[in-house]
Amino acid sequence: MNESVVAKLTDVSKYYGNGEGRIAALDNISFNVKKGDFIVLAGLSGSGKSTLLHLLGCIDKPDKGQIIIDGQDTTMMNLEQLAPVRMEKIGFVFQSFNLVPVLTAYENVELPLLFKGLDRKKIKNRVNEILDELGLQERKGHFPGEMSGGQQQRVAIARALVTSPAIVLADEPTANLDSKTGADIVNLLVELNEKKNITVVLASHDSVVLDRIKNIVTIKDGKII
Amino acid sequence: MNHFKLAVIAFRNLKRNSRRTIITVLVSSAGFAAIAIVGGYMEFTFFGLQEMTVCRGFTSSGGTGHIQIIRKDSVQKEEQYPLEYGIADYDKVQKSITGYDSNIKATIPRIEFTGLISNGEKSTSFLGMGVIPEKELMLMSYWDQIYKNLKNHSSQEMIYRKLALASPNAVLLGEGMAKALHAEEGSSLMLMGTTVDGAVNVVDVTVAGVINNSIKTVDKYYLVTSIETAQNLMQTDKVSKILLVLGNTKQTDGVLSVVSSKINSSGNNSEYSVIPWYKLAEYYHSVKDAYRIIFGFTGIIVVLIVFLSAANTMLMSTMERVREIGTLKAMGVSNRWISMMFLYEGFFIGLMSIAVGLMLKELFTFAINNANFEMPPPPGMSSTYFLKIYSGSHFLPWISLLLLLSTTCSGFLTLFKIRKLSIVNSLTHV
Repeated sequence: MNESVVAKLTDVSKYYGNGEGRIAALDNISFNVKKGDFIVLAGLSGSGKSTLLHLLGCIDKPDKGQIIIDGQDTTMMNLEQLAPVRMEKIGFVFQSFNLVPVLTAYENVELPLLFKGLDRKKIKNRVNEILDELGLQERKGHFPGEMSGGQQQRVAIARALVTSPAIVLADEPTANLDSKTGADIVNLLVELNEKKNITVVLASHDSVVLDRIKNIVTIKDGKII
Repeated sequence: MNHFKLAVIAFRNLKRNSRRTIITVLVSSAGFAAIAIVGGYMEFTFFGLQEMTVCRGFTSSGGTGHIQIIRKDSVQKEEQYPLEYGIADYDKVQKSITGYDSNIKATIPRIEFTGLISNGEKSTSFLGMGVIPEKELMLMSYWDQIYKNLKNHSSQEMIYRKLALASPNAVLLGEGMAKALHAEEGSSLMLMGTTVDGAVNVVDVTVAGVINNSIKTVDKYYLVTSIETAQNLMQTDKVSKILLVLGNTKQTDGVLSVVSSKINSSGNNSEYSVIPWYKLAEYYHSVKDAYRIIFGFTGIIVVLIVFLSAANTMLMSTMERVREIGTLKAMGVSNRWISMMFLYEGFFIGLMSIAVGLMLKELFTFAINNANFEMPPPPGMSSTYFLKIYSGSHFLPWISLLLLLSTTCSGFLTLFKIRKLSIVNSLTHV
């Protein structure tokens, strides 16, 4: 496998329902994500872009095909066995931010590292470093409820990046934001991609995103077109 | 993962859902207080039974004293005639025992005997006890020191005083027996019994008073007289046993080992058995066992309620935090760690419940102990008593542990729910 390939999907299919009512959310998709890519999965609602993102993120299993993440074949692993893969290799950014409401911004960012079992000093340094990069130092003591949507999404991005994952997956990250804040978030991701060579796969049908990113993979009826 | 951090998350989640947390803690603490109060009542009952066994007893043999000394032969062999294996030189034995340990406050000789009592027209069998009234009063004064809740305890002391002041051939009759023989204070009766030689002997006695033995069935056959009258009837100078009265019932085992070793190492005295009160307390043990079963059963029900209440809280919490759980799972956090968070929540609920439960328990105990509730006589007894709740300190650590385990384990139930949650569905859960 080419070392620059971070994620490789081969003949991947995912079905919902049974018998005649069975629908192919993804139909024999083959798709590579290379190190440093910034890919937007575009398509209408129900086209399969979120499903593809879920399979890439190892939070769902395909019915057919092979998925290799950062050199590791995930085909034979169940979701619980995939937990370390998600922890080590994948960062998630969600549409609704999904921050833990009882934790401050700092604590939310710190959380994945605590579960990884790093020592306190390393955690502190790394969290402060990422909060600095994303301009969140002043907000680090705030709880999610005390921050704006844009700030919460920045914290979510910081949380996704803090473990230095092989790939960052963002599912409609601008959908809950106004267009200006949405554009800021996209610019931030682009900046991180360009400066830090962070691999990003983003699912969106937001024009703010589609206008800004050139590398667009369009999905329709479960197929890449 | 840092357990401290997990505990912080758990605590903040409880704080966030403060109303639900308060309700759960109140239910659990009410359960804790209920078990603790029942435990305190049991402790009071056990203590009362223990001291009652020592001072008054539940048979015609009266109070057991703290320790009894009898001839080994009287246990091992069948007597051919009354008091064959009685203690002959009991004055000497008493004197030597008194010096064994400073915790021995009194020695009380007694004779147990049987026979017939008659008013000339009607005869009935009796279970008699020959005593030195002044010495028996020492056992009662011990009772007075430690147990002031029995409502009519003083009447028996008065009766024994009458026996002490009466002529040597005076008797106290159980209420039932006095009624059967139409006897009252001053009535003349006849005691018939077997002497140590096997002959029948008769002694004229005068009724000095009517005694209440606490147990109604025993009252029909119960009779107390002086040790001299009993010896006169049986034509002997022996006694059946010597009772030891200690400063405190807790000293029993300590004094027992001292007396056992000394009495059997002093040459001619190796013939004696030294028996603690609890080996003579069949009624005490049967009541204790019954109470333990009842208490255990009640405890199980209450713990179950606490468990279900805490489990409901945990599962509700899980339902409300589906998205949060899904996010943690998506981040690669294992089900075990997520469940651990809920275990901590259950643990904290348990800790808070214990603290509130202790306060509730103290409050109710104070109120009950100061209300002087008069309790009806226990089955088969005639004395009422005031309800008291003791600290229940023997039970508290166990109740606390049980409560903590119950609330913490309720957090464990979430593991099944968490394991079933689909990450994809939970991420979009509203």
